[in-house]
Amino acid sequence: MKIAVLLTTTAIALAFAAPAYAEMKIGILVPTTGSEAAYGQDMANAVDLAIAEINAAGGIMGEQLSSVVGDDGCDPQQAVNAASKLASSDVVGIVGGYCSGATVPTLKIFGDTNIPFVIAAANSTKLISANPGNAFMINSTSNDQATKAIEYFTANGVKSLAIVNQGDAYSQDLADMTKKNWEAAGNIVPSFEVANKGEQDYSSIVTAIRSANPDAVFWTAYYADGGLLIRQLRQAGFQGKIAVGDGSNSPELFNIAGSAAEGVVSFSNPTAEFLPEAKSFIADYTAAYGSAPGPYAPLAYDGMNLLANAIKAADGTDAAAINAAINAADYTGITGAIIFTPENTLAHSNFVVLQSKGGKWTPAE
Amino acid sequence: MSVLNIFLQQLVNGLVLGSFYALVALGYTMIFGVVKLLNFAHGDIYMVGGFIGFLVLSVIAPIVGPGWTGVAVSMVVAMIAVGFLGVVIQRVAYQPMLNAPRLSILITALAVSLVLQNSVLTLTHGQYQPMGADLGFGDINLGMLFVSYNQMILVGTAAALMIGLELFVSRTQYGRAMRAISIDKDMCRLMGINVTAVIAVTFFIGSALATAAGTMAGAYYGSIWYFMGFLIGIKAFTAAVIGGIGSIPGAMLGGLILGLLESFGTQIPGIGSEWKDVFSFAVLILMLVLKPTGLLGKSEQERM
Repeated sequence: MKIAVLLTTTAIALAFAAPAYAEMKIGILVPTTGSEAAYGQDMANAVDLAIAEINAAGGIMGEQLSSVVGDDGCDPQQAVNAASKLASSDVVGIVGGYCSGATVPTLKIFGDTNIPFVIAAANSTKLISANPGNAFMINSTSNDQATKAIEYFTANGVKSLAIVNQGDAYSQDLADMTKKNWEAAGNIVPSFEVANKGEQDYSSIVTAIRSANPDAVFWTAYYADGGLLIRQLRQAGFQGKIAVGDGSNSPELFNIAGSAAEGVVSFSNPTAEFLPEAKSFIADYTAAYGSAPGPYAPLAYDGMNLLANAIKAADGTDAAAINAAINAADYTGITGAIIFTPENTLAHSNFVVLQSKGGKWTPAE
Repeated sequence: MSVLNIFLQQLVNGLVLGSFYALVALGYTMIFGVVKLLNFAHGDIYMVGGFIGFLVLSVIAPIVGPGWTGVAVSMVVAMIAVGFLGVVIQRVAYQPMLNAPRLSILITALAVSLVLQNSVLTLTHGQYQPMGADLGFGDINLGMLFVSYNQMILVGTAAALMIGLELFVSRTQYGRAMRAISIDKDMCRLMGINVTAVIAVTFFIGSALATAAGTMAGAYYGSIWYFMGFLIGIKAFTAAVIGGIGSIPGAMLGGLILGLLESFGTQIPGIGSEWKDVFSFAVLILMLVLKPTGLLGKSEQERM
């Protein structure tokens, strides 16, 4: 009986609703189960927030937007299933992509149907080479971090730069890339050191750095050993600039380095608290979901708005036209300017520069 | 910095690092001497020592301040507390295994190491703990050579502890008994020496020395965590082998040599910091090949 009533009500509602406005569906591909579920749900929330705002402003070409979530579980196999489901459910475009490993195999599936895919968080350089042309990365890669670091050092009068990494894939990549580009720009790296993970005493490296007398030291690895190095550099009388990569911008760094961390500079992905343009986003998000937005919510929000603008610009739902519109986009969102290279990666690094003040990270400048 | 400056600075760095290695290596070598056990839990005793030192310091710092006085008092209290912990570990985990095959007691030592590490991991949730000591930044600046007061106090304390140990082992009855047991345990028992008590004293002293290193390292480097004993455990073991395991002066010498090797290894042109551990451990392998008994060790029939 209840079901009959429900069905009737739904049928009536649909009968009235359907002719009033057609719906445009947006696919969201994020992990909503598993270890990364919190980040994925957070991104899905941000996309839905953007959709609600677009709908409130009248939708796109008179049509309201709705979303379908595909759960990739941060697992390549599950991601393939979720992507196939989304690809066959008549969506206009996809926003999402958190885990790089799970995002790579979906590129082929979305590529076959040429659906526009805005990758909001995943940023492995593998995504660049596997991209069939319909995927757009709006998060910076480690390449971009090196670029941002060099921009910062150059702007602050640094000529000679000591680089210290920990010999693992992440920190060595960043160190090598920075060294290469730094030297290509005509500067010098007088000291390129590798610190052992878990060692407490970095005095010999500190002496090697001080004897090379660089203007600045760039630590590309994680906060735990970075904190010790910063402390020992300052204790030994090093007075130049110290910068750390995004693996070190944890508040834990202050626990370890203590007052020696004052003034240290760090590079970070654009998280909401450090984005001046994100104030109203934070307020709206908190009002809608009862908690503050997580680290990748701003990018997911921008990704959805970017896609919506491209659909408007393409004036229709033709995939090829939307893709062309995204690639040609000159969009400024809360995370900064989104302009693409021919490879569909960001033309400008979206890394922000933070500086430690009184035991907290604050935006530099 | 001139070459001479760099050389002197790395010499100072090596001495500080070597003092820590030596203090921990002493425990390895003493325990090996009396019970023929490679106590792989020794690095974790160093870690636990750091944490007990931190607990004591957080209690007494409001009274005596977080400077060297506070650190010294917490170091002594922690040395006594962890010394007894060492004795308890020996009684519970090693005593029943003394006559078991050598491999069994080695595995027990690994188990003790895991128990200590994971207990602290659980209690601290794997977080870094700031030590809360404030040692100041004073130093003697000889041109470009920096020697901080802290470094001098560290090396001085380590030297005093080692001299004290040397006197204890060479001048007291317990020391004589220790040396005798390392030669022939069963004969000592027949001669009326209380072997169990001497073993207990050995574990007490070894653990106390590691604790001195752990507390000073925490205060000097600023923070402690549950995994800090792993690497120094391996390095101290290496130092003990270089010096000749079972030999007390050997452990001191081995610690200093390893510390200096690492410091100067960083400075080798064209190789640098990336290879400094390869360099240090290559020396260990060379030592084992050319002089397996270590620099000051005596050759012995029975060996692991």
